[in-house]
Amino acid sequence: MNDPKEKDLDVVISYILIIGVIASVLLETAGIIGLFYSHGNVDIVFSPEFSLKGSNFFAYAGQAIQALLLGKWTPISILTFGLLLLMITPYLRVVASAGFFAAERNAKYFFITLFVLIILTGSLLAH
Amino acid sequence: MIDMIVVLLITLAAGFLGALTGLGGGSIMVPVLVALDVPVKYAIAASMITIIATSSGSAASYVRERITNVRAAFYLEMFTITGAIIGATITSFIAPRYLYFFFAAFLLSSFFGISGHLKEDFPKKTKQDRLSRWLGLEGSYFDQAENREVKYKMTNAGLGGLGMLVAGLAAGMLGIGAGAFKVSVHELILKMPSKVSSTTSNFIIGITALAGASVYFASGLIFIGLAAPMAVGTTVGALLGGRILNRFHNRSIRYLFLLIVLILIIQMLYKGVTLQ
Repeated sequence: MNDPKEKDLDVVISYILIIGVIASVLLETAGIIGLFYSHGNVDIVFSPEFSLKGSNFFAYAGQAIQALLLGKWTPISILTFGLLLLMITPYLRVVASAGFFAAERNAKYFFITLFVLIILTGSLLAH
Repeated sequence: MIDMIVVLLITLAAGFLGALTGLGGGSIMVPVLVALDVPVKYAIAASMITIIATSSGSAASYVRERITNVRAAFYLEMFTITGAIIGATITSFIAPRYLYFFFAAFLLSSFFGISGHLKEDFPKKTKQDRLSRWLGLEGSYFDQAENREVKYKMTNAGLGGLGMLVAGLAAGMLGIGAGAFKVSVHELILKMPSKVSSTTSNFIIGITALAGASVYFASGLIFIGLAAPMAVGTTVGALLGGRILNRFHNRSIRYLFLLIVLILIIQMLYKGVTLQ
């Protein structure tokens, strides 16, 4: 905190967080409105096809993005993408921090952030 | 049958009250959704992902103002994410009945915790232990109320880490931020000043929630129709609550908090006992 160089990291972190959250909330809002117009109601359905589920988060997110790139902009695909974006937001700030500490050659904190990154990646990858 | 609009409005109120009382959205949301007959595990999983939004949204501004101790946060996160993954794994497998009782017990502990303290605190000169010094756990920030630069040093990094492991476990298991618990560990064990403690806790909550959510993602417990309106509702609610916070006296907020928690405890116990 006292370290003036860490100010850059603070700014980067705060941008990552705020952009991720705003984008995700806007996507969720758009998705809910879209769902209301296409279905006429916004009932909550607890069936497997309306759940986020996968054994590999990154592959799942890749498929969701690919669907959007192919033009499949359905309310559900927008809602799904918004939630995945929300999940990846704090992950990205850990990646940015690990990169920062590596560039600063701060071995102690590089390994601390790396530990967090490995645990998270492992938990998102393999279940 | 509740729909997304109902959930959005309820979580808007929950996010608002959560920010106002310092209880956080999750501890209010989960019991309220359970009262509306949402299965407890679905409520926990959706709450977990929602917390990422509220935590990250408010953390962004605190980090920029440089009140959050980002270093301490990175160190403590190692423990909370490990706890959260274990906690969420437990929840994925145990019978729902136990979750009602765990939740009621957790709320009860916040009831006594918050009714006991909540005083602005600047620790006296702390003597650092070796691990805390090695980790460089210290810092300073400009306190606007005091109109001075507050310098501080932390200590007991080892025990603090252990406390955060427990906080992470509760967070992952119950789909909450466990902010009140984290703040207690920060202030009582690590000797952080109050403002640093609450903003750093908030910063850590986002990544802890992701660790828990990663397990619920694998278990298929995150339902889009529930999580989407919750993310919108709590984020907007928390934003409004944070704005209005300064206009309320501390005492009225505390009474409001105690009343809400008491109702939620009774409700969770009732559900747990009557569950077939």
